[in-house]
Amino acid sequence: MNDQKRNDFLNAINPFNKNSMTPTLLIVYALMILIFSLINPLFISLANIKSIVANLTISGIMAVGLTTVILTGNFDISVGSILGVSAIVCAKLYNIGDTYIPLPVVILAGIAVGAAIGAINGFLVTVVGINSIITTLGTLAVFRGLAYLYGTETAQIYYKPYVFMGRGYVFKHVPLTLIYFIVILVLMYVVLRFTKFGRNVYQVGANLQAARLAGVSIKKTTFYTFIISGITAGIGGILLSSQLSFAQGVFGLGYEFKILAICVLGGISLAGGRGTLVGIIVATFILGSISNGLALSKVPIEWRDAFEGIILIIAIMVDSIRISRRALLRA
Amino acid sequence: MQQMKKKSFKITDTYILLIILVVLVAFFSLVNRQFIAYNNISTMLKNMVLTGVLALGLTPLMIARGLDISFGNSISLTSVIMAVLYTVFGLNLWLTLLIGILVAALIGFINGLLIEKFNLIPIILTLGTMAILQALALVTANTFTQTYSILMLTDQLYYFSTRTFLKIPLPLYVLIVLIFIFWFVLTKTKFGRTIYLIGANPKVAYLCGVKVKKVKILLYIFMGFITGIGGVLSVALTGVGASYQGAKLVLPTLSAVLLGGISLMGGSGSALGTLIGVLIVTVIFNGLSVLNVPSYYIQLFQGIALILIVAAYEIRNKKIQII
Repeated sequence: MNDQKRNDFLNAINPFNKNSMTPTLLIVYALMILIFSLINPLFISLANIKSIVANLTISGIMAVGLTTVILTGNFDISVGSILGVSAIVCAKLYNIGDTYIPLPVVILAGIAVGAAIGAINGFLVTVVGINSIITTLGTLAVFRGLAYLYGTETAQIYYKPYVFMGRGYVFKHVPLTLIYFIVILVLMYVVLRFTKFGRNVYQVGANLQAARLAGVSIKKTTFYTFIISGITAGIGGILLSSQLSFAQGVFGLGYEFKILAICVLGGISLAGGRGTLVGIIVATFILGSISNGLALSKVPIEWRDAFEGIILIIAIMVDSIRISRRALLRA
Repeated sequence: MQQMKKKSFKITDTYILLIILVVLVAFFSLVNRQFIAYNNISTMLKNMVLTGVLALGLTPLMIARGLDISFGNSISLTSVIMAVLYTVFGLNLWLTLLIGILVAALIGFINGLLIEKFNLIPIILTLGTMAILQALALVTANTFTQTYSILMLTDQLYYFSTRTFLKIPLPLYVLIVLIFIFWFVLTKTKFGRTIYLIGANPKVAYLCGVKVKKVKILLYIFMGFITGIGGVLSVALTGVGASYQGAKLVLPTLSAVLLGGISLMGGSGSALGTLIGVLIVTVIFNGLSVLNVPSYYIQLFQGIALILIVAAYEIRNKKIQII
């Protein structure tokens, strides 16, 4: 019995089991690359690929954090606003005095802002007990308002090492941001798969009652996932401001669809408790390439958000069909 | 016995909200005399109409455990479509307004169909449709007029939005009629009881022979229809079909509905509760602008208000459970 449970669990977190969407996603991605490169051969030029990868890693990192929240069966739609606030805090720190504040301090500040907002979300969801969507809808507005308030003027960043952090390349062609993405992804993969906390996350999302009876602290687990999501959004803010070398109040506006779409497309079930970070990689590349591909295909800029919306809708429909099929099999 | 207990709770809820409303009005009018001037009150009530109509449309939907947050962008799209039809194609005004309302109802139907047929989480789906509708609004406005907000000035709509009858602005009558209709349907008809039943327990409703999905799709269409009316009102009040305006309506409306006692778990709420919620939200935001609070803070306050409202209800519910 215990072995079976263990197998079930391992199956649930195995990226290449028969229920996984990853192979399908890879086929979709290959088709997409084919179509876009037929429309405009520039799409597969080295320079373009480099810029796509450098851009998409930010949303990838944020998706990794959001994944932990969704796995517990909650949502965090305030990630875009967290990104905005963290970017502005970092940029403002470079505009205080004449001497530059050391790099690690700024990075820590950005991360701390993200963690603090994540902790506020987590507190409201777990201790006060508000529905997570409504909570984060509220904090989305609050922190977007704060970002506008302090980011009405563009805050420039002239500090070279900070800018290099987001724009730099290693081995000539590999963007530094890709390295951060991979490191964070691997780290979270290990945490989710091999630590007690990771198992608790899956347990809470899969079956709340069972988790409670098994002695898992639901509140603590959920609280930490919100902090993780806040931290990754904070990192997103640091990287975006360093890539663009400035910060504005509108940074990260509308990111919530994109990040949510990546998670759902990557096979993280909205019902909670199902999905792995492996799907996130492919989904990040799909969503990251789409806006670039559309731009190169001369599709008007207004349509880009619409495409992200359509992908989100298709992904949640597929997810829902999979959920109902599982329910049928169980019955 | 159980019934009576519940009823007495509801009454206290409404009383508390009314007291809050009175306190707020007293506070703002003490701080600034302008607040209770006839001009300010009539503007305030006129501004309330749009939020009020939308909140009313959300009321039955949220009682039945549905939710739609794409209505703001739907208003943007319908107002742009109406303005384009009227100014670029020179269509008859009434036909234009009818088409606008029908388009919004169609959007509601699509939302409802997808949510109910695929068992989707309403807020997530409508988050997706939000993006699509916004893009459609921008593209429509841009392709036909090369601008993002299109002037649509008509004598009839101007007359409607500026004249008063018995010293009450005309748009307010739309809200009053709708409140009466919603109150009547929700409390006095079988359909209204069905909506509460679905919200309280969908499974029981299903076993009682209620066609849950059909009713809910109907409610989504209805929400779309109300959104269309909101679109017409928005064009009438502002004189433009603006592709960015609608999105700002979502937070205040949602706050008003939740404040009015609608639970996210469904099954509770009333048209009158929603009305008081709308009044409180309107008084707060109008009061803030009378006090010259910068507009940047308004969004901040909207978010804080939403969180505080839901938190207060959650804490109260917990206390009731413990007792």
